[in-house]
Amino acid sequence: MLELHHWEPNAFFLKPLIALKEKETPFTSRYFDPTTFEQFAPGFPRNLESGLHLEREGPLLVHDGTVISSSFFMLEYIAETFPGIDLNPGGAFEHYRARAWGQFLGLSLGPGVCALGCAKYLAPVLAKRDATTVKDKIIAIEPQERRAAWSVVIDGTYDEKTLAAIREKLKFPVRRVEESLAKSPWLTGAGYSIADIDAFAMLSVLPDLAPDVVNQQVTPRILDFLERVRARPAVKSALAMSKTGKPREAFVPGAEPSRWG
Amino acid sequence: MLTLYHWEPNANSGKPMLTLAEKGVEYQSHYLDLLKFDQHQPEYLKVNPDGTIPAMVHGDRVLTESTPMMEYIDEAFEGPPLRPKDPKERWRMRWWMRFFDSYFAPSLSMIGWSVFVGPAARQRDPAELKAAIERIPLESRRIAWRKALFNEFSEAELAESRRRVLFSTGKLEQHLATHRWIAGDTWSLGDINGFNLGYALPLSQPDHCNDQKTPHIMEWLRKIYERPATKATWAKGRTAMAARVTYLERKGK
Repeated sequence: MLELHHWEPNAFFLKPLIALKEKETPFTSRYFDPTTFEQFAPGFPRNLESGLHLEREGPLLVHDGTVISSSFFMLEYIAETFPGIDLNPGGAFEHYRARAWGQFLGLSLGPGVCALGCAKYLAPVLAKRDATTVKDKIIAIEPQERRAAWSVVIDGTYDEKTLAAIREKLKFPVRRVEESLAKSPWLTGAGYSIADIDAFAMLSVLPDLAPDVVNQQVTPRILDFLERVRARPAVKSALAMSKTGKPREAFVPGAEPSRWG
Repeated sequence: MLTLYHWEPNANSGKPMLTLAEKGVEYQSHYLDLLKFDQHQPEYLKVNPDGTIPAMVHGDRVLTESTPMMEYIDEAFEGPPLRPKDPKERWRMRWWMRFFDSYFAPSLSMIGWSVFVGPAARQRDPAELKAAIERIPLESRRIAWRKALFNEFSEAELAESRRRVLFSTGKLEQHLATHRWIAGDTWSLGDINGFNLGYALPLSQPDHCNDQKTPHIMEWLRKIYERPATKATWAKGRTAMAARVTYLERKGK
């Protein structure tokens, strides 16, 4: 029994949808709306790891009763568990590169992408709801880091100065990806892999959220990469699972930025 | 030809050291003194332009991320497997390594740097320290070193780090109460990673990590300490920091 609990095909939620479509693995789609806090309701799949949720919010894969969380490790799980196309081609070094990309982009790109998306799209959605109800829901969230990630969306933290600083910080990981794509069309150098799915899910929203960071002049190779991934039938099929018709506007709080600065 | 550039058997440097020892893989060891900023010297920057340690050179391949490096070692070399065959255990191993790397370790190291690394480094000439910081290639690492060397951690930051260390210790104890090893039933890289993070936890947090409050963590640490590879790896330490590990010797032996 394989169930994917997911929202719109965007950001972290998009990753396992693409991988399962690439593998042509049958699964039951459990669509939920995290902006209404369904994921905290009784009966939602849970274990110690998903409760801590290092990505704060994201997809859950439930396979024969085990709850798998964390979107990059979910990609590795799908790649290693199900038959079909090899989503982690090459040998030990290419696998190392896929994991190193997953770690680097997850920590350097993930927090910023989610913050920018939440400021632009989630904050207005929550502002239209009854403020007391939203606050009561957020106050009840555990652990406190996950609660704090939601609080900053509604408490005015994301002013223009903060958002500009976040966009500035994205330039470093974006430059590393652009440089890598100059050497090889896919990130590990061994063909399309989970590293590309992972990067696509976070980079594909940046022409909208940070046009000064990802654009034709500065990052032509990234734009070409995004088009190549978007042209894949599995990716089209994953994106077609949107129920709102606006998947690129679907954001929830993501992993926190490094506390070391 | 395999070369490892590393500091003490501790935290990130210790991860590949203990992994290589468990696999029985011989390597050329290059010890870099983190507190003397060896990792920012031009000679090392030729190996790893980011100036972070550890780094491993295998033939023409250069690896600089310690946790993915551990999986590489397991995959590229003969020896006992250090990753579970079961994909669910493998996922759990990876999830906990990320929890250690991105949540637990940064808080623990912030405390360690404020009480140990910072004061030790501040014995040196301030102008020399400033120049050493300017040589650091990555901006994020420059910020981290500046904070550590000039004690720029705020009390609120340190208090939050202490809270997170206690919270993480509680979650690890909860996990080990129902799982023999980090991945589940199988000894793995997750335990090697966790030992490097937590071998001194009962020394730095004696009121919160001890035989009464966290018996499963204590037993887990002692089981790992008893492994020949662990003892051989920690014997390579040159400082009092690594030598502390012997406190894990079972009493009455």
